[in-house]
Amino acid sequence: MTSMQRWGLALLVPYVLLFLVFVLYPVLYGFWLARSPAAYAKLFEDPVFFRTVVNTLVFVVVAVNVKFVIALYLSGFFVNTRPWIRWLSVLFILPWAVPSIPTIFSVRFMLNPEWGMVNSIIFRLTGADGPNWLTDPTLALSMSMLVHVWKSLPFWTLILIAGRLAIPKEQYEAASVDGATGWQQFRYVTWPSMRTLYLTSTILSMIWTLGDFNSVYLLTGGGPADLTHVLATLGIRYIRLDQLEQAMATIVVSMPLVLPLVWFMVRRLSRDGTQ
Amino acid sequence: MASVHFRDVRKSFGATEILHGVSLDIADGEFVVLVGPSGCGKSTLLRMLAGLEEVTRGEIAIDDRVVNEVDSKDRDIAMVFQSYALYPHMTVRENMGFSLRLRKAERAIVDERVGRAAQILNLQAYLERYPRELSGGQRQRVAMGRAIVRDPKVFLFDEPLSNLDAKLRVAMRAEIKALHQRLKTTTVYVTHDQVEAMTMADRIAVMNEGRIEQLGEPLALYDRPANLFVAEFIGSPAMNLLDARLRRSDGAAWVELAGARWALAAGAPGADGQQVKVGVRPEHLRLGAEGLAGEVVVVEPTGAGTELVVQCDGASLTVVVHGRSGARPGDRVLLAPGPDHVHLFDASSGARL
Repeated sequence: MTSMQRWGLALLVPYVLLFLVFVLYPVLYGFWLARSPAAYAKLFEDPVFFRTVVNTLVFVVVAVNVKFVIALYLSGFFVNTRPWIRWLSVLFILPWAVPSIPTIFSVRFMLNPEWGMVNSIIFRLTGADGPNWLTDPTLALSMSMLVHVWKSLPFWTLILIAGRLAIPKEQYEAASVDGATGWQQFRYVTWPSMRTLYLTSTILSMIWTLGDFNSVYLLTGGGPADLTHVLATLGIRYIRLDQLEQAMATIVVSMPLVLPLVWFMVRRLSRDGTQ
Repeated sequence: MASVHFRDVRKSFGATEILHGVSLDIADGEFVVLVGPSGCGKSTLLRMLAGLEEVTRGEIAIDDRVVNEVDSKDRDIAMVFQSYALYPHMTVRENMGFSLRLRKAERAIVDERVGRAAQILNLQAYLERYPRELSGGQRQRVAMGRAIVRDPKVFLFDEPLSNLDAKLRVAMRAEIKALHQRLKTTTVYVTHDQVEAMTMADRIAVMNEGRIEQLGEPLALYDRPANLFVAEFIGSPAMNLLDARLRRSDGAAWVELAGARWALAAGAPGADGQQVKVGVRPEHLRLGAEGLAGEVVVVEPTGAGTELVVQCDGASLTVVVHGRSGARPGDRVLLAPGPDHVHLFDASSGARL
């Protein structure tokens, strides 16, 4: 072995160790905990599990896409350079910057059907009682999605603003001289430049949203009657019921959702890298 | 094709006025170059004509139609940008056909017009390529193609050659000129390069600090600059300028400078004893038996001619000699212009006498 190779090996060892200890071992240990076929049988028999999978799909598909359409629109507004828009953008970023637990709890208080701020206002304005925001399963899941959108919208808007700023101003000027309307400028100049960023960000956000525990758990706790769980919160339910094997099994069964997204994402990124 | 009219056009950004009332009439089919140092307002004037900047005051008209409030897209103009501003996601064909497609032109017409423009600009082989696969000169041609496909009323060029290397710039200069002679479309061309202005323009508007200093045909500007700014700006190497005193007696006129005297033509303007700036083009200074004494400090042979830098009593003069020169650094020489080639400017106002 040459000294070059010895050095190479020495420099490689820390990374390999880190990978073994912090990636490979936990993953394998997780699979080992979730190794019992009986856990899966029980999981699939649990009616909550089926509902959770549906909730998760709805959450990921609807919330993320709604969020991105809004983010794309807002990014067009915030690239404006007027001073008051700059100030507004600082305010706009706040939801993303503040910590999750107190803010989501305060939303939960605001939505309390009896003494929450939202229903108090509804009562004062209309004299009627507001909806049961968190005890109606559809509404409760919708509210979770709303909180999720509210919380992560600023981040993705910022990313899309960065994408828009990378488009040279002359391209818009050329398009407007060429006769393009505002919509055509978006269609032929903005969108082609942003498409890759938009899709990559959407997929990344879907991966992150699959792991979004806070928006659901802090707002609804998975309730009412375990009807608003997503895969990210279902594990906690089983752990609370002292069913560790079940909890690990929920993570393993979410792999078919996560892995294609990760694979797609990595493929996109490596293709972009070679271009 | 169309005429273009600027009437007392002003532009302010905030409290700062950067164009102070520009008036300019451009005839149908004319090639007008706006030239001046950076910050003189030439690009802003062009962008106002394109509809990319608002007009603060005054009027801009294309033919008889005032376009102040008309959107760029409805002005029927085409513009070539310094950065080319090609659409990176479209092929050369799509880039060139884009404006026609937006106007919902039939496919056959788009293909025909793009094909013809490609032929004029020698781009047939590149129609299916993307801008990133082209060289700078080719991109430049695509940008021009995008403009000529439209057959617009007016072509606008905003420093289109600045990003090219010197050799390509000269070649493209000739191409644009040839293109104009072929299409005869009214053209407004902005550049900071006075050589471009001289070689391409039917008329040049020399701009400085938000005003037009002089408007005229290239050689008229060269032969009779209206003031010191134009005198210095037009011509390369630049005109020599010296402080002097005007004298006249018995029908003869001359200028006195640093102990020497240069004779003036019989009809020379100005009063006896007036303080003036004397301007002489480098090719009009002769080395002779009398005149202003100086020492040759630099000799630059260019082959066709020789450029000498002569140090005279604190001033540095440039002399261009046709062909070869026997002068060597250190030589003492006497310099005098032909009497018909002396420009006189008022020492305080800078205006031509």
